Amino acid sequence: MTMIDSPPATAQATAVSSPAAAGLYDFLATTDHKRIGRIWLTAGVFALIGAVVLGVLLGLERLDSGGLDIFAGENPHFQIWALYRFGLALLVVAPLFIGLATVIVPMQVGSTNIAFPRAALAAAWGFLIGAGILVVAVAAGGGWGAVDRATPRELDSIALTLVGMGLVVVSILLASLCLATTVVSLRVKGMTLLRTPLFAWSMLVTSAVWLLTLPILLANLAIAYVDLRGGPGTFTGGVDGSTAIFTQLEWLVEQPQVYSFAIPALGILGSIVAVSAGVRPSRHGLSLGLIGFFGLLSIGGWSQPFFQFDPGANVAYDEKFVFIAFGLLAIVPVLASFAPVADSLARGRDNLGGSPPAHLLGALAGALLLSVGAAAGVARVIEPFRLGGRITVSGVMNLVLLGAVVSAVAGIWFWSAKIGGRTLSPLMGRLAILDLVGGALLLGGAQAISGFLETSDDPRVPVVEDAADILSIVSLVGAVLVALGALGVLAAIVSALRSGRTTEADPWGGHTLEWATATPPPAGNFAEAPGLVMSEAPLLDAREQTSAEGEDS
Amino acid sequence: MFTTGFKFFFGIGVALSTAAVLYGYTTGGNHVGPLSLGWKGGVGEHLGYGLLVALGLSAIGIALTLISYRDADPADQARFRGVDDIAPTAPVTGSHWPIVGAFGVGTMAVGLVLNTAVFITGVVICAAVAFEWMMDAWADRATGDPQANRALRNRIMAPLEIPAAGTAAVALGVLALSRILLNVSKLGAVVVAGLLAVAILGVAILATSGRRPNRNIVAGLVLSLGVGILGFGVWATVDGERDFEEHEYGEDEGQSEESLGVVDTSTDGDIYGE
Repeated sequence: MTMIDSPPATAQATAVSSPAAAGLYDFLATTDHKRIGRIWLTAGVFALIGAVVLGVLLGLERLDSGGLDIFAGENPHFQIWALYRFGLALLVVAPLFIGLATVIVPMQVGSTNIAFPRAALAAAWGFLIGAGILVVAVAAGGGWGAVDRATPRELDSIALTLVGMGLVVVSILLASLCLATTVVSLRVKGMTLLRTPLFAWSMLVTSAVWLLTLPILLANLAIAYVDLRGGPGTFTGGVDGSTAIFTQLEWLVEQPQVYSFAIPALGILGSIVAVSAGVRPSRHGLSLGLIGFFGLLSIGGWSQPFFQFDPGANVAYDEKFVFIAFGLLAIVPVLASFAPVADSLARGRDNLGGSPPAHLLGALAGALLLSVGAAAGVARVIEPFRLGGRITVSGVMNLVLLGAVVSAVAGIWFWSAKIGGRTLSPLMGRLAILDLVGGALLLGGAQAISGFLETSDDPRVPVVEDAADILSIVSLVGAVLVALGALGVLAAIVSALRSGRTTEADPWGGHTLEWATATPPPAGNFAEAPGLVMSEAPLLDAREQTSAEGEDS
Repeated sequence: MFTTGFKFFFGIGVALSTAAVLYGYTTGGNHVGPLSLGWKGGVGEHLGYGLLVALGLSAIGIALTLISYRDADPADQARFRGVDDIAPTAPVTGSHWPIVGAFGVGTMAVGLVLNTAVFITGVVICAAVAFEWMMDAWADRATGDPQANRALRNRIMAPLEIPAAGTAAVALGVLALSRILLNVSKLGAVVVAGLLAVAILGVAILATSGRRPNRNIVAGLVLSLGVGILGFGVWATVDGERDFEEHEYGEDEGQSEESLGVVDTSTDGDIYGE
């Protein structure tokens, strides 16, 4: 990377006073991290709308798998089901967090820009192109294998799906590299790793986990592609295609790997709660450690059900000690993260008004969904239940990924002044977040419970139990609520953009350096280079110092 | 000498690597296996050993990354280099090569599946982008003056870029046009050719009017062309050419194969009649 990119501007560089770039060319060729972040965010929000629509259709189909045939065939049904799962992780959650981080993290660490800004721009456009290829290929009859004998055109579309997904993954990896380098090497003077803001730290951990594990997914894709285009067919079921390709890749959206998409939720929780409560963050070091521990437990490239060549031991991958230990331990850092949060809320209860702001509600609700998902994950691995292959797997995925979506939405509301120079409507935010949370709980919760009734995770297997049928109705209601919440998010953003009202630089009394910039932040972010950072809350330090000097005088 | 970040991650790395070796021994590995990553002998339980080794090496990798940046501590960097302060670097300027590179990779991906020529086009675009990006990165820090850097870069690259871009534009235009003409109906082909002639005339008028075209309009047109070519490449490959009417020689026009110079080689393969 360093061979083909300029060295990043160091955090000590003085502010760039170039005029704000405008026009189509400047939009396409920008190296301003805020504009690049907005490309990711826009893509994530629109992908969310698409994903929730698919979720509703899948819920309807599941409701009466024998009667309705929304997708006109078993194969399209399977491919849309798979697209929803991979899309929610790679096309919705990943771009939302990368977008948020690309805008906020450089400012949080006091840098004038993201590291390798041109690479970051290439990642954003590569993502858009890869996502486009992926969606078009699935719509053209491709997907992750074929249920029936595939035609030559469908085989081409399957291959296109694989390369499109590969391009998406490469783009996410490139963006992760830029973000990790920003946090590691562009922190302002005095900001040690232990003083790194929680959101920036959580993105460093997320980037590290993705950089460790997503190349394994690329290897899976390469194996499947080569096998499909003339290999022995060992991993794809031969040239006729088969859903074995999906089986080979599904570890991405199953525990423990699915947790890697929700790591930033813990960073957002810590960042928002302390500011909303108006108190110094409680046990910052502990929060850093818990996020790191959760990241460690979300490394899942090794947990591949397709490659369990251990005939001698005759132990399934989900019966192995490491898998069970990861599943049991994952909930520990999530629940433990509520301890410093509760302490901050208790100390700042006088500062909290009547109804909580949308961002605080979203941060708490997102972490709550993650906790419920991790609890369902515990039930999935423990001996009396062993819910592998049941719909509980989808329940865990929906709870964790939709929890991540809610956290990202909370982050967008919290940092909207820095993202677009606007404040989003608190009322619309609360409504959208409540819709999303309620819907996610109904959707994921009903699926998690339905697994106990032996409902299969495979959408082609019909539901047999009456009680499971009722749970299918509940999960459909949940999917509809999630869709309404997603539309509410889009409506609030459009409304704020149309209003044209800008907001003040620091509407919440923030603690970290992004709140020291103007709104919207200029090119180069800071009017003057940030001073020496002495704690994890430098702006709070400055306010307390000013207050103390005022009292002295 | 060693930074805090380096010591933190290096310590974790050493601890995890040691744990991996111990885990290997206690789960059935022999005396050399866990130390040689399984090269000589068994490592015990593979999964846990592999996981601990991977995490240990990752932590050591992060430690080495951190120390190579001196933990991003400017005071430490200045001490290390023996200078008073680290000079600020110029901000990275905007560039259209990242988006062109992204299209290049997209073209490669589509071509990999559908058409070799499209794949090679993608490779050529990516190679060109890598070269241009490298030159931009060099020029950005050639001197302290951004304008001088830009002039220096253009002096070297313009003699290469302008002929190459012109050739590529003509080739792409011809290729796109040929695909369109092969795909649309006979009447459609006449209309397309007419529109093209009008467009060329329009561009010529604009070029001779002496007005400098708006940069954003040019960027928009280039982007539209890129998207159009990529989209049309996929669509035309899938859709194929239109049905062409087969002419049977010598029936309608009253011409014989001999009169058209067609030689029948199916009899004895001796076209010279020897």
